[in-house]
Amino acid sequence: MTAIRAEMLKMRTMPGVWVTFGLAFPLTILYMTGLFAAQGYPGHTFSYVQGVPHLRQLLGAGYFGITFLAPILGVICITGEYRNKTMTSTFVLTPVRTRVLAAKVFVTTLWCVLIACLTLVTVFAIGLAWNAALGGVSSQVVDQFGAVVPGLLASTILLGLFGLGFGTLVKNQVAAILITIGTTFILEMLLVLLARAIFHYNLNWLPSAASQALAGLLARGLGNRHDPALQLLSWWKGGLVMLAWGLIPLALGYFTTFRRDVT
Amino acid sequence: MTTSATPRGLPIEISGLSKHFGDVVAVDNLSFTVAPGRVTGFLGPNGSGKTTTLRMLLGLVSPSAGQATIGGKFYRELPNPSGLVGAVLEATSFHPARRARTHLRMVARAGGHDEARADVVLDLVGLTDDARRKVGGFSMGMRQRLELASALIGDPDILILDEPSNGLDPQGIAWLREFMRYLAGEGRTILVSSHLLAEMAQTIDDAVIVSHGQLKAQGPLEAMTSGLTGACMQARTPEGDRLCSLLDQEGLRFRRLAHDMVAIDGVTPEQIGPLLATHQIVLYELSNQGADLESIFLELTSGLGFGEASLSS
Repeated sequence: MTAIRAEMLKMRTMPGVWVTFGLAFPLTILYMTGLFAAQGYPGHTFSYVQGVPHLRQLLGAGYFGITFLAPILGVICITGEYRNKTMTSTFVLTPVRTRVLAAKVFVTTLWCVLIACLTLVTVFAIGLAWNAALGGVSSQVVDQFGAVVPGLLASTILLGLFGLGFGTLVKNQVAAILITIGTTFILEMLLVLLARAIFHYNLNWLPSAASQALAGLLARGLGNRHDPALQLLSWWKGGLVMLAWGLIPLALGYFTTFRRDVT
Repeated sequence: MTTSATPRGLPIEISGLSKHFGDVVAVDNLSFTVAPGRVTGFLGPNGSGKTTTLRMLLGLVSPSAGQATIGGKFYRELPNPSGLVGAVLEATSFHPARRARTHLRMVARAGGHDEARADVVLDLVGLTDDARRKVGGFSMGMRQRLELASALIGDPDILILDEPSNGLDPQGIAWLREFMRYLAGEGRTILVSSHLLAEMAQTIDDAVIVSHGQLKAQGPLEAMTSGLTGACMQARTPEGDRLCSLLDQEGLRFRRLAHDMVAIDGVTPEQIGPLLATHQIVLYELSNQGADLESIFLELTSGLGFGEASLSS
């Protein structure tokens, strides 16, 4: 418990965490803007959303930014220590290292829930008002809460653990961020397209697609972000795959980097 | 240096400790004990394995062989490690964006101590006025003070300080010396590593001297410096030639420092005084130079490839 309280304070006093949080707000608004614009028709740049898939997309608008902000939170949680050489005092204060790692998993989870909630608050405060102003019915969006929010939260948490895992393994903050973002945004996109074009293979178990599957109904019917033809895994399979994407690097990092001598 | 205060802490025992980094032997079968309530200097040239030893003691580095325990337990097995042991390892381990008080609150939380201790220790190290400043703007001296404050957050009985005077200016070193005396005065056990021998000589009770990862000497500083090996008398006399002849006859080691100044090694005033009186050698001055820590250290590590440069940085 003491380690968790200390980790909470650490996260709260890292500027990088607040920058990440700060980005979640405009990115959610940006996504909602795009969504309303996509509903537009001649003479109307923006229009309200309608139809279950779009209603869910509006409610889960924060997912767009979360895909890379949550892994960054996980990366920062651990690499911030290596970057500022505070890991030495962390291990002196909490010599049982599994406790440190467990505290970081807990704190990453908590901050990921917070960032997901921030995007939801943004949607409720701005998105619903905007939708109503365009003529939409807010209750239709709110009705999708149960279908969207659990998946959004679970997906955000596992994306955070994915970042934490790579941060544990790589140690270098910039490299870890580039790897996680590069994997989810560039490498995955290329691999998905190449797998389909060359091998006619449905490559749907990479982090972005798996987390999107876990996010579940909010993405269903709209196709994968990188490849609309990609058939996503079921939400629970996506969850398991995403959990593996977090736990495997975390375990590898623990048994290599994290347990290594601090010289 | 130790006062009459009740000794606090537990014995630190290093037993057959070794650490290899690949082919490099950092610590080689090192054994020594630090007694409770004493200030023990852990001395050696740069690269002699001091930091590695302290890190093994704190569970940061795993030993290749042997063990380092506090009161018979490994550091990680202590029920409240930061309440018993405070450590200063490096003065750069701070997040630059954190305020001094926030850093200490975080340390207090991690150690399970009252967060109000942050203000107590800030006051103790003289940083109360800088409590709300970000650590990134701190000087090296201030960082070192903050590191000491972190180590003291749990009011530990044992303090482990690794080169605490590194990077400090003379004023900072003087402050540190006084601070260590103050802490020692409370009966705390202090194990402090350093290569600044002159500084340590003014602060420590016991010395553990290492070189190339091996133990060279251990014991109370007083016993070390009063040993015959390093004792030295200096005589100023108008009869320098006669004195040198006499010393030669007596088989004593000496050095002619000037035409009227002779240093006689390995003797005490009780030995040389009567000898000079018997031979009626006129003296203008006879002073006991004693043996300082540095000369002991140089003697113990001579021929091992360490020059003075490594001792004086």
